[in-house]
Amino acid sequence: MFIKPFGSNRRQFLQATAATGVIAGLGPRIARAEEWTCAVSMRSLANPYHATFAKGAETYAKSAGAPFEMLVTEGNSEKGIADVRALLSRTGGKLVLNIDPNDSPDARVIVEECAAAGAFVVTQWNKPEDLHPWDFDPSYVAHMSFDGVPTSKAITEKLIESMGGAGGIVAIGGILSNVPAIERKLGMEQAVEASGGKVEVLDFQPGDWNETKAFEIMQAWLTRFGDEIKGVWAANDGMAIGALEALRQDGRAGDVPVTGIDGIEAAYAAIEAGEMAGTVAWDPAWTGGMGLSIAHATATGALDIAGEPHEHREFYGTGIVVTADNLAEVRGEPAPIDYSDYWGRVTGQIQYRG
Amino acid sequence: MAVSFSRRIRSLAPVLVLLALCLVIASTNSNFLSVSNLIRLLSAAAIPLVLVMGATFVILMGSIDLSVEGVVALAAVAASMLVANDFTSLDLGFVALPAAMLLGGLLGLANGLLHVRLAIPSFMTTLGIGFACVGVATAILGGFTVRISDRTFRELTLGRLFDVPYSVWVAGLCVLVAWIIQERTRIGRWVYAIGTDEHTARQVGVPVERTRILVFALAGVFYGLGGAMSASQLGQGHALLSQGRLFTTITAVVVGGTALSGGVGSVLNSVVGVLVVIVLANGMVLMGIEPFVQQGVQGLLIILAVSLALDRSRLAVVK
Repeated sequence: MFIKPFGSNRRQFLQATAATGVIAGLGPRIARAEEWTCAVSMRSLANPYHATFAKGAETYAKSAGAPFEMLVTEGNSEKGIADVRALLSRTGGKLVLNIDPNDSPDARVIVEECAAAGAFVVTQWNKPEDLHPWDFDPSYVAHMSFDGVPTSKAITEKLIESMGGAGGIVAIGGILSNVPAIERKLGMEQAVEASGGKVEVLDFQPGDWNETKAFEIMQAWLTRFGDEIKGVWAANDGMAIGALEALRQDGRAGDVPVTGIDGIEAAYAAIEAGEMAGTVAWDPAWTGGMGLSIAHATATGALDIAGEPHEHREFYGTGIVVTADNLAEVRGEPAPIDYSDYWGRVTGQIQYRG
Repeated sequence: MAVSFSRRIRSLAPVLVLLALCLVIASTNSNFLSVSNLIRLLSAAAIPLVLVMGATFVILMGSIDLSVEGVVALAAVAASMLVANDFTSLDLGFVALPAAMLLGGLLGLANGLLHVRLAIPSFMTTLGIGFACVGVATAILGGFTVRISDRTFRELTLGRLFDVPYSVWVAGLCVLVAWIIQERTRIGRWVYAIGTDEHTARQVGVPVERTRILVFALAGVFYGLGGAMSASQLGQGHALLSQGRLFTTITAVVVGGTALSGGVGSVLNSVVGVLVVIVLANGMVLMGIEPFVQQGVQGLLIILAVSLALDRSRLAVVK
C-alpha cells in the first residue's frame, strides 16, 4: 500500500509547511483550521463503493485546504488499526479521521486511541451496538450507516408505480438471517401494505444473494403464476439480473418491471435498456466528504458536537432511488455537496432492531 | 430370480423417484407438464448436465472433484473477457467457447497431475485448485463484474432451435459424447476397472495413472464449457458466478445412482440425477412449499434416492 506523506510530494509538503508558518503569523484562528490532517480508511479501492467514498473524502479535504491521507485495510483489522496508530503519532493527534472499520470490534479500539490522542473520528457501517459517540465526547464525533427499511420501501413504491399501482409481485430475498436481507424484506412489505390491498405478494423466496438461484426461482414462478406477475422485487441487483435473464428467455424482459438494490453497473445498464424499473444507489461520496466535514468542524471548534442531540451523532444516510429519470445524473459526476449542511441528507437516528 | 428383480428395481430407482416426483407436482399444479415449463426445466438443467458429464467419470473412478465452482468461475470470467464486453477491448465471438474449454482442460490436467504425480488425495488437490481459481478470478477483476455486450454469444442460451434453447442442444451433445466415451472407448472401460478395483486393473495392464490424469482433464473441459455457458446465460462474468454449482453437481451424480465408492453408475444415471434435482427445485416453488421447509425436503429426498439406488451387497465397509 502507498501512503502519501503530507500531500503528493516533498515539495508540496515543504510549501504546506511554509504556508502554515506564514498563516500562523497572520492569525491563530485560520492557522488552526489548516493544521488538522484529514484521513479516510476503508477496506480496498477495488470495489466501486469504497473508491467513491475515498474520492468524496478527498474532495472535501481539497475544498477545506487540509492535507489528506488515504489508508486501506485490505480486509485486515490489525493493519487497519496499526495504520491509524502510525498516523496518530505522526500528526501528534492533530487528525480528523473518517473510517469504515474492517470489523465491528475494531471501532472501539480506534475510537479509544483517537480519544487518547486528542483526534476526532467518524465511523461508518460497523461498530459494536453498545459503543456510542456520546460515550467519548467530543472525540467520537459520529457514526453513519444506511437503513435498509426506508430505502427498500422507496424502491418498492417505484416498482408499484411502474406497475400502474396494482397487481401481483414476486419477491426474491437475500439469505434469510442476514441483517440487510431482513431490513430490505421489511421495507418491501411496508410498501405493499401501504398500497391498501391493491398490490399482492404472490410468493416470497430466498435467493441467497445468488443470481443463478434467482434465475431458477423466476423460471418456476413464470410457470406457477404466468401473466399474474406484474412486477419482480429483488433484495439486491445481482438477483434482479438473474430474474431478468429468466424473463428474457421467455421474451418478457421489459414488459415486467424488475427492481433491485445496491446500484451495480449491470443494473444501471438494464435501467437504461428499459428492462429494470430501478435500483437504490448508496451515497458514498456524501458519507466520505461529510464524515470528514463534521469531524473537521468539531476539531476547529466551528461545531459543538457534544451539545448536539443523539440523532445528530448516530444516523442513517439516504439511499438514492435510481430510475431512468435520474440515471444519467447518478452515473455522472456527483453533484457538489454543501459541507456545512451537516445533517441535510440524514434519514433518522440508527435503530437497533436486535 | 429375487436377486435379479431387486437389482433391476435398484437400477431403475432414480427413474422411479423422478417419475413419482413429477406425478406429485403435476397433481398439485397442472402447469408443471406444460410445454413451456418443460422447456424451462430443460434450460435450467442444461449447465448442470454439462458439469455432471465431467464429474461422473471422476466419481466412477472412486475419486472426487471439488474444483467445479472454481473452474467454472474462471472459465466464465475468461469467456466474458474474450467476447465483446466492457472490461477488455476483445471481440472474438465464439472463439470464447473452445478457449474456455481449453482453459478448463488445462486446470483439470493440473488437478490430475498434482493428484497422481504427488499422490495427493483428489479431495485436497481439487479443493485447492478450486480455491486458487476463485482467487485468480477475484484478483483479475478486483471485485468488479464483466458485462457481456456480444449479442451473438448470448444467443447460445437465449436463441432457440425448434423452440428449445441452443444450450439444451449443447448439453444433449455433451451427454452423447460422454456416453460414447463411456461405452465405446478404452478410457471409458478403464474408468470402471479402476473404480471397481484399482489393484486388479493395474495387474491386467490398465494404465491407471494416465487414465486418472486424462479423466480429470476431460472433466475440466466439461467445466470450462459449463463456465462459458454460465457467462452466456447471465450475460456477465465474475468470481462468484458459480456459487452453488458444486453442491448441485455432486448431488445430481449421487442421486442418479452413481456410487461415491466408484465403479457403479453411468453418465445416463447422472442425467436422471440432474433432472431429479432440477424438477425438485422447480416443483417446490410451484407447490408453494415454505422456504424454511424446502431445504429439509431436499435433504430427505436425496437420502431416499440414494438409499433406493444403493447396492448394499457390494459394500464391504460403510465409511
